[in-house]
Amino acid sequence: MTPFVNALACLLCLASAMFLWRYKSSFYRNSLLLVGFMIIFGVFTFFGGEMFEAGSIPMLEHYPFKMLALSLCFSTTSLAVRRRRYMVLAQVFWLWIELFGGISLFYRGFDIAWTRIIAIAGIAFFSSLLSKISKEMEFCLMVFWIAVWIFF
Amino acid sequence: MLNFLRFIGLLLLLPGLVALGYSVYQGPAAWAVDSSTFWGTPISLFVFWIGLAHAGTLLSAIFLALDIKMDKRTAMMAELSTLCSLAIAVIFPLMHLGVLDRFYMVLPLADARANFSNIRSPLVWDFCCIGVYGILSLLFFGTHLGAKTFSGLKKIRKPLAWLLFPLVLWVHTVVSLDFAASFVPEWAGAFFPVYFIVGAVYSGIALVCCILWFEGYRMRLLEKLLMISSWILCAIWLWNFAAQRTFCTSAFIFAGLLPQLYWVESIRETRIGRICIYLSVLLGLWLERLFLVSPNLGTTAGASFGWVDLGLIAFSAGAFILAFTSIRGGLGSAMEGESTFFGEVDSTDMATSADGSEEDEALDPADEKNYVEPWASHETRTLRFPLFVGFSVATFFCIWCAAQLNFDNIELSLANVIPLVYPIAALVAAFIVCGKAYVNEVRPNFGSVQLRHRKVMHVVAVLLLIMFGSLLGAFYAGGKSAPSNQEVAAQPYNFENTEGDLIGDADSSAQEISAPRAALIWNSRCATCHGTDGKFNEKFIREYYPVPQKLDSARIDSIGVDSLVNVILNGRANMNAYGNRLSGSEARGLVRYMQQLAKEAK
Repeated sequence: MTPFVNALACLLCLASAMFLWRYKSSFYRNSLLLVGFMIIFGVFTFFGGEMFEAGSIPMLEHYPFKMLALSLCFSTTSLAVRRRRYMVLAQVFWLWIELFGGISLFYRGFDIAWTRIIAIAGIAFFSSLLSKISKEMEFCLMVFWIAVWIFF
Repeated sequence: MLNFLRFIGLLLLLPGLVALGYSVYQGPAAWAVDSSTFWGTPISLFVFWIGLAHAGTLLSAIFLALDIKMDKRTAMMAELSTLCSLAIAVIFPLMHLGVLDRFYMVLPLADARANFSNIRSPLVWDFCCIGVYGILSLLFFGTHLGAKTFSGLKKIRKPLAWLLFPLVLWVHTVVSLDFAASFVPEWAGAFFPVYFIVGAVYSGIALVCCILWFEGYRMRLLEKLLMISSWILCAIWLWNFAAQRTFCTSAFIFAGLLPQLYWVESIRETRIGRICIYLSVLLGLWLERLFLVSPNLGTTAGASFGWVDLGLIAFSAGAFILAFTSIRGGLGSAMEGESTFFGEVDSTDMATSADGSEEDEALDPADEKNYVEPWASHETRTLRFPLFVGFSVATFFCIWCAAQLNFDNIELSLANVIPLVYPIAALVAAFIVCGKAYVNEVRPNFGSVQLRHRKVMHVVAVLLLIMFGSLLGAFYAGGKSAPSNQEVAAQPYNFENTEGDLIGDADSSAQEISAPRAALIWNSRCATCHGTDGKFNEKFIREYYPVPQKLDSARIDSIGVDSLVNVILNGRANMNAYGNRLSGSEARGLVRYMQQLAKEAK
């Protein structure tokens, strides 16, 4: 997958996050949105990563789920209550996908992206210590997640 | 209803026991084994039941951790279903070994027997993680049960829930790595952790819904979660198809399409309709597990699904029903809170009930509303500090592992030990949390407890200590997986078994058994380790045992027929003696079959 498509994926996550957890949004609506996003992310990865060609890259196997996790991270900044808790959970979800996806790929001869994993673990840990999350802090967190996605 | 369920359980268990006994006696040839993955029905059942085992506590722990109200009876039944499923699940990997009397070899007890388990293997991680999960689930269930007598135990329910929440995900993820980190192309999926967790949660919710159905009430929140899980799993199946080009149609029909009948009001609002949906989900997910474990089942020779497989399924279902109903009946009202629900229930009913607020005492309201220094908060005292100690111990374990001489001759990476980090941390943290509760809450009031309850508590404590001791041994894992240095002694052909009785024909020129008969014996006795094609069962040998030298044509010829027959009959190193189960002519036939396989492999 090219860096441009990777950046585009980040943009797609950001765009999809704004539809989640809206005020008075029902349980089913949010869940349907999540499932819909998973399918969209899957289609995006399939074509963006040219997985229709034989010998596709195994690194993309968990890419749609990473996109979903990033989207969830972005979406937690708009939560009205218990932002810290769900922000940490969303980041741990991302960390979990990266870590165990990495381990399964490690057994097939690929390197684990430790820098990325440590960065996500670090921000998840430190955001768990945040008492109040201001707008500025939200912005900083989003910039950090985007940086991890694109550069690490 | 409990008696009816016990009757059903017995009805399933009794024929199932026949199949179980036959399987243990006959070995892997008794059940359907996939020739490409070497795995069959027992492993499918293991994955299925371990999935169910994770969901009960997961639901209870997540709901508690995230402040979603669930009444005591539902939560306890979910937790009990976990314990019973776990007990059923662990039977099947043992059966799959084929050589039950060498079960201890799978325990990673370092090099005490000059026999190493492989810490790089997800199967060894499985053993450790599932062990920790079993202990913590038992503690979680025990504290819930004991909270009626020792009200102070309520305070540690939430910290335990926060420990269990990631642990459940971690453990099932490690189970998924059994597949994702293996050599089978169909299992190469970095998304397997998510896939397995969703499948486990989905099947677990269906099981809890089933249990509630038999108890005579329903919880709409769980039904909503059931439907949502079905959509998520369908999306993952689509991705699996895109990434791997594999799709299990029967699972899709039973666990993907049929549950959508829930949206038909006349089905949703009838008891029969609902139970059919729950059972359809369970059936679909069992079929999915079977498809995952044995993707080529039915398409290759020797992989037919027979009465033994059905018997094993019946055994697992019967044993679960009997175990669950017996404990449920034995505990009776101890599993129920002050508010017991009948008919339709949702979270609103529970939130307003007296029982629903039982967990709120565990919260420190100051943490939620006002600013509190992170290091001085209630959360830090009850959870962060024990976790910090736990992670310190886990880190020490990793460093200690890396410094072991055993690992000098294998390449040990952080990725090989990191799957054990959280289970170790959670185990240590849970013991700190429970230890504090014991000292502060249980011990001072212990004298006032009835003698019968005290005895039960002692038994549970001893059980926990035994499990903990076993796990300490388990974490002391070795690492070498190098070829065995032991050579086959070129002894003369010896027809005496270990007890000194003569077996088989003393004449080495005795008539050998037919080739098909030799193939049958090979598949039933030898294929577990040596593989159906004689090239080793990679998934098995490399995970647990020291890798023996390959029995290729040159090696077989150099050892000679007589020595090999001797090894088969009298055993050697890690190889079992089959003298009391095979005759000399059968052993000789096996050697000929081995030669034939070696020639075919050329």
